[in-house]
Amino acid sequence: MLALLRKIRTTSVVTEPLVAADDDRQIETMARQLDERARRLFGRSLHIREVDAGSCNGCELEIGALNNPYYDLERFGMHFVASPRHADCLLVTGPVTRNMADPLRRTYDATPDPKIVVAVGDCARDCGIFAGGYGVVGPVSAIVPVDVVVDGCPPTPAMILAGILAALGRRGGPQHV
Amino acid sequence: MTTAGEALTLNLLLLALGGFGVGAVGAVLAACRPGVSRWVGHAGALLGAIAAFALGVAGLAGGTLDVTIPALLPVGGFSLGMDRLSAFFVLVIATAAIPSAIYAIAYTHAYEGRSSLAGMGLAFNVFLAGMMLVALACNVLTFLVMWETMSLASYFLVMTEAEHRETQYAGWLYLVTTHAGFACLLIGFLLMAHGTGTMNLGEWRAASAALSDPVHHTVFVLLALGFGTKAGVVPLHIWLPKAHPAAPSHVSAMMSGVMIKLGVYGLIRIGFDWLGVGASWWGGAVLVVAAMSAVLGVLYALVEQDLKCLLAYSSVENIGIILLGVGAGMLFQSYHLDALASLALVASLYHTLNHAVFKPLLFMGAGAVVHATGTRNMEEMGGLIKRMPQTAACFLVGSIAIAALPPFNGFLSEWLLFQSLLLSFQIPVTGINLLFALSIAALALTGGLAAACFVKAFGISFLALPRSEQATQAKETPRMMRGTMAMSAVACLALGVAPVGLLSLLNGTAADLTGTFADARVNWHEIVINDAFAFVSPLWIAAALASLLALAPLALRIIGAKTGRRAFETWGCGRALQTSRFEYTGTAFANPFKRVFGLLYRPVKELDIQFHPESRLFVETIAYRNETRSIFEETLYGPISRLVRRSAQRARIVQSGNVHLYLMYIFVALVVLLVLAR
Repeated sequence: MLALLRKIRTTSVVTEPLVAADDDRQIETMARQLDERARRLFGRSLHIREVDAGSCNGCELEIGALNNPYYDLERFGMHFVASPRHADCLLVTGPVTRNMADPLRRTYDATPDPKIVVAVGDCARDCGIFAGGYGVVGPVSAIVPVDVVVDGCPPTPAMILAGILAALGRRGGPQHV
Repeated sequence: MTTAGEALTLNLLLLALGGFGVGAVGAVLAACRPGVSRWVGHAGALLGAIAAFALGVAGLAGGTLDVTIPALLPVGGFSLGMDRLSAFFVLVIATAAIPSAIYAIAYTHAYEGRSSLAGMGLAFNVFLAGMMLVALACNVLTFLVMWETMSLASYFLVMTEAEHRETQYAGWLYLVTTHAGFACLLIGFLLMAHGTGTMNLGEWRAASAALSDPVHHTVFVLLALGFGTKAGVVPLHIWLPKAHPAAPSHVSAMMSGVMIKLGVYGLIRIGFDWLGVGASWWGGAVLVVAAMSAVLGVLYALVEQDLKCLLAYSSVENIGIILLGVGAGMLFQSYHLDALASLALVASLYHTLNHAVFKPLLFMGAGAVVHATGTRNMEEMGGLIKRMPQTAACFLVGSIAIAALPPFNGFLSEWLLFQSLLLSFQIPVTGINLLFALSIAALALTGGLAAACFVKAFGISFLALPRSEQATQAKETPRMMRGTMAMSAVACLALGVAPVGLLSLLNGTAADLTGTFADARVNWHEIVINDAFAFVSPLWIAAALASLLALAPLALRIIGAKTGRRAFETWGCGRALQTSRFEYTGTAFANPFKRVFGLLYRPVKELDIQFHPESRLFVETIAYRNETRSIFEETLYGPISRLVRRSAQRARIVQSGNVHLYLMYIFVALVVLLVLAR
């Protein structure tokens, strides 16, 4: 107990100071735009369901980064939810494998309308390096209708955000990317 | 000389007995035509019950009754009388008997060709008449004879499906415990009659002052044991969860809804009437036993998978709740707080009536479900709300009422009980205050657990996908059975929203026993207790709940929710196969409670995994069992039954089967008697 208190007293702040980058400001404007469009389209904030259809988890790391303290998407009213029943938007990653094709279709069916589908990463676009694999059925667009594809292996969080924004734009009025 | 009022009650009594008689005799006469037999038998019971209802109302309004037929029974004759308490219990019996009798007409159809409908009709009518006459009995012998009639008739009803082994065991257990209780009653009554010098129950109150203390206490303990056995209080309850489910559902309804209440009737009589003002530990003992019954009853109900067994355990719980009021009333009385004693009695009488409405409703619902699915095991039901929507709605009303939620009747009686327990701070003894505080906690815990229990009972039986082939093919019950359930459901609502006249009648009944009215102002929209100590407005609560229900769709529209509907399968994480085996089971629902109260249930877990012979990575079968053991059966009744068995083995020595030896016994007995009576 005392040792712990001493440690707290003697240790200075070890976290790095936050440097405001251009990227950061760009994210912020984008996220605000996104929230506003989502509100116009769905009448409330945007709820996202992530579906891993067979990814190597590289894209998941970047999607996960959207929730970290740096990007902190929740502050713009965007939530990752645990069920497609609650979602407005599906983020699908990876080449669609045989085992995940049917669950992906069911997830799409279970999501209430209006819904948007964003295929995240090169694999989701065209199966990437997994193309032609015996366990791979095809790209996401072969299973469910896709609104926007985000390129990259993996795409950065900013790119993913831009992708969602673009998808919302396609539904909610003129598209701005 | 009879006044006009007495002539009315006498006619109603004769009409009721006539109805039961016609039912009993008619059912037997039509024995060879089962269809006619069940109609005649139960229509007679219905007629009798309606007359009994009128008799109860007349009695509560102040009507009296005085019938003595000396030739019918020795020692005082067959003697009936009626005060308000008797009248109230007659009313309770009739309230449950009316729907049960109508329900039975349709329900017993399933027994045609399997059991004797004449026997059922006869026993049912005798059972109802016996119960009514117990409440009206005016002297010792009438009471005991009617008590035994009621017990035996219900024993035969329990044994309706005697071909099942568990029914035989249930019947045997019922017969043994009910007679052990009867023996206690007999000794207690005779001691009391000897001490007071009169067999007339009405004279006991005045004469009880002459009793010496040890006799007074012994009589109380014996009678409390006898009535407690019938009421099914913990730990004398073991027969109840076995016997009630074994009987046909309309009989379970009567046994659980009413028969055990006659135990309560007896306890109220010994607490407030026959034995005069007793020691304060009497009330304390009743309060402790009641709190134990309430909590343990609902805890055992919670882990039960047999729907009717769950309801039977829930009766143990409700008897506990009712007796909390009785025990509190006795304690208040011994501290001369008569108005509070009346309040506690009003609460417990009100809960008695309420339980006699919603428990039969639940048993009738369970009967409909068991009839449709062919099983009592909840784990094989499910999805019944789609197949039997009206039964489900009625069962839901019963569940809400028994979980003591507004706007139904259980809420109001438990609220009154809470108020009377909370007012116990007026007793200036710290120990007693502590006892009351614990019983308030017990009542609160019981309420919460009862809600969990009936969420389970309704959710597992009626919601989700059917868990068995029979449940898939279940059909809604005949219209007559649904009609009676709907009738009871409406009664639950009426008693919960507008109890105005009833509460003043109950107050009068309680005042007859304690001498003072409870301080409760009742008008059409609110009940005020003890000069603004507490008030509740059942009508406004009901109105608020109804308007919330109506406002919800409106509010959804205002916030812009989409109202379109889309039928789609339940989300199951994208699984390809989604069967009822993925559902939440009753065992799983109860498991957290099993863990928390592990001391009580002492669960036995068995996990048996059969691996594939080629590799342990593949499992062939998994068997999982998680059973509870009854602490009472193991630690209390186990040793007793072993002792009885062992002494019976010893006693067998004298019974050799040799006729000569028996002749010698007779001869020796004769000689001994002659010597003694010289």
